[in-house]
Amino acid sequence: MTRQERTAWGFVLPVLAIILFVFALPTLLALALSVTDYSIYALADWGALRFVGLGNFADLLTTPLFWRALGNTALFALLGVPMAIGTSLAAALLLHDASVRWKPLWRVLLFAPYVTSVVATAVVWRFLLNTRFGLLNRALDWVGVPPVDWLGDPHASIPAILLFVTWKIFGYNMIVFTAALSAVPHDLMEAARLDGASRWTRFRHVTLPAIGPTLLLAAVMSVAGFLQIFAEPYVMTLGGPAQSTTTVLYFMFDEGFKWWNLGQASAVAFILLLLILALTFVQARIGRRYEWL
Amino acid sequence: MSYEGDYSPMLMPAFTRATGFQVEVQTLPWTAAHEKLLTAQAGDSLPDVFMLPDGWVGEFALIGALAPVIDAALLTGLFPGVSAATGPNGQPYAVPWSVAPQVQYYRRDLLERAGYAAPPEDWDSWRRMGQRLKARAPDNYAFLMLLNWWDTLFTFAGQTGARPLRERDTRGNFRDPHFRDALAFYVSLFRERLAPPALSTEVQDPVAAFAQGYFAVYPYGPTLTLDLHRRAAEIPPALWSTARMPGPQGPGRVSGIAASLCVSARSRRPAAAWSLVRHLTSSASELTYQRLIGTLPARAAAWDTPQLRQPALAAFAEQMRDPTREPMIVEWERIRIEVQLIAERVVRGQLGIDAALVAMDDRVDRLLAKRRALVEAGQLT
Repeated sequence: MTRQERTAWGFVLPVLAIILFVFALPTLLALALSVTDYSIYALADWGALRFVGLGNFADLLTTPLFWRALGNTALFALLGVPMAIGTSLAAALLLHDASVRWKPLWRVLLFAPYVTSVVATAVVWRFLLNTRFGLLNRALDWVGVPPVDWLGDPHASIPAILLFVTWKIFGYNMIVFTAALSAVPHDLMEAARLDGASRWTRFRHVTLPAIGPTLLLAAVMSVAGFLQIFAEPYVMTLGGPAQSTTTVLYFMFDEGFKWWNLGQASAVAFILLLLILALTFVQARIGRRYEWL
Repeated sequence: MSYEGDYSPMLMPAFTRATGFQVEVQTLPWTAAHEKLLTAQAGDSLPDVFMLPDGWVGEFALIGALAPVIDAALLTGLFPGVSAATGPNGQPYAVPWSVAPQVQYYRRDLLERAGYAAPPEDWDSWRRMGQRLKARAPDNYAFLMLLNWWDTLFTFAGQTGARPLRERDTRGNFRDPHFRDALAFYVSLFRERLAPPALSTEVQDPVAAFAQGYFAVYPYGPTLTLDLHRRAAEIPPALWSTARMPGPQGPGRVSGIAASLCVSARSRRPAAAWSLVRHLTSSASELTYQRLIGTLPARAAAWDTPQLRQPALAAFAEQMRDPTREPMIVEWERIRIEVQLIAERVVRGQLGIDAALVAMDDRVDRLLAKRRALVEAGQLT
């Protein structure tokens, strides 16, 4: 090993050690837990612990709530990712326009929800979404739409939470997109305009390819984020009504930390890890095809 | 937890004066207390003394978190009907502190206008009262029973004499006709739109809604009296009163969340911990607490004082003599929550009553699988 290599290892080792201790080791331990029936009885007496092989996984596949949680999570991701990224991109494009004044002020205002506390904003949003005197229903009433029981109707609860989540997180990707947009080559844009390309064609053929890699990054992060959505349903609806906002992570939290069935909860965590890995892999493949990576 | 936790620093100066021990108090919200305490036990960081609702004592005793109550004097002089929660071996592990049977709070003015001086005591007349209230104010409701809280359903079940578990508490017994009656009655109140199908997260301020007459009857425990007194400007004391919960043929046993004090098995200062328990559960402290936050004393001596002869407390005193006996098993807390989840689906029309009872038994049997195996192996009684 050369001196240079030794120095390099010296810099990398602390980080590697931390990754090993806070990521690799816990993952392995969780895998070990997931093949046992670790429950509160094992907390009382290790003698009650048994090896159950893939029993937890088989058990999960026959648990209706697990499937519903998967379905709810999929719905959150399917609706939420386009909603969040679309809003971010739209806001970034608006802010990017040369005619907009006080850009820094707008950026701060739109970014602010991202850095406020989830619990505090959830309380405010619960009031906004209140069926009887919420502002949202007032506004709907104004345009003649009957009141929606946002957080009490199992069909409206996911859209209601998504409204809140989108408002909360779009500022982050908006900033990322703003940075990407400023890197779109000006001369290309000018050339397209001179050639008579419409607004949409310029967006589709000049802007989009230029911000492609950023878009991919945002998509990967958003998908992973929405698959792990937990805090918002936890503070807004406690997983209800009729478990319509119980997500996979919420299910895992209940099993593991509320009822101490850590064996079962680790199995859930593992399935979720595999799901996220698989989806990220697919996204990476798509990105590579468009030469964004 | 909750008000007990928020206000207990006010009970400490007297203790510190008498014994010289400083006490540090932390308060937990009810919704997160169970998991926080379990995690504390796993991480060996439980406080010396902590409050537990009776239903959790068996569970925490099983995992070895609690020290048994050795001083028998702590368990004497309790109000009739109150007894110490025990662990799996039948030994007492907790000293009863306050009792919180469910009663109904009702709006006297609204009931009077519907022709009632007090709520009727049997289910059918109670529901009829609800229909009359609803007919007078179709936009409002007669009852408020939050759909993610199990207490009212289990109060109804307790009154029918239903035994929710069977075979040494290793299997669900929800197909029992008694429980079916209770569930059918509970669901009918929502079907007839006498109660709003709302979760606790939707009714952000029940006291304000009660004051506005959004509902006329609210089954709840004694701590609501504190909220009502605090907000007397919105709802003057003359407008509300309390009564026992109705039963199929008249009042009976109801569920409630009685609180006990426990000492951690790994406390490094057991003597000081027990003296704190003795101080907090003395009738003087319990009376102070009643005045501060409305919890009801578990000591019989406290009930002989004029402070507890208010008319609004009479319903509680009567109800306290008639508590339900609930299974003291680890899974009970979860069983109630999951049964309530299935009941919620019936209320929302996603499931029929009989299908729901089958689903409850299935779910509970699965939750009890581990316990069943341990009982069959003789490792657990």
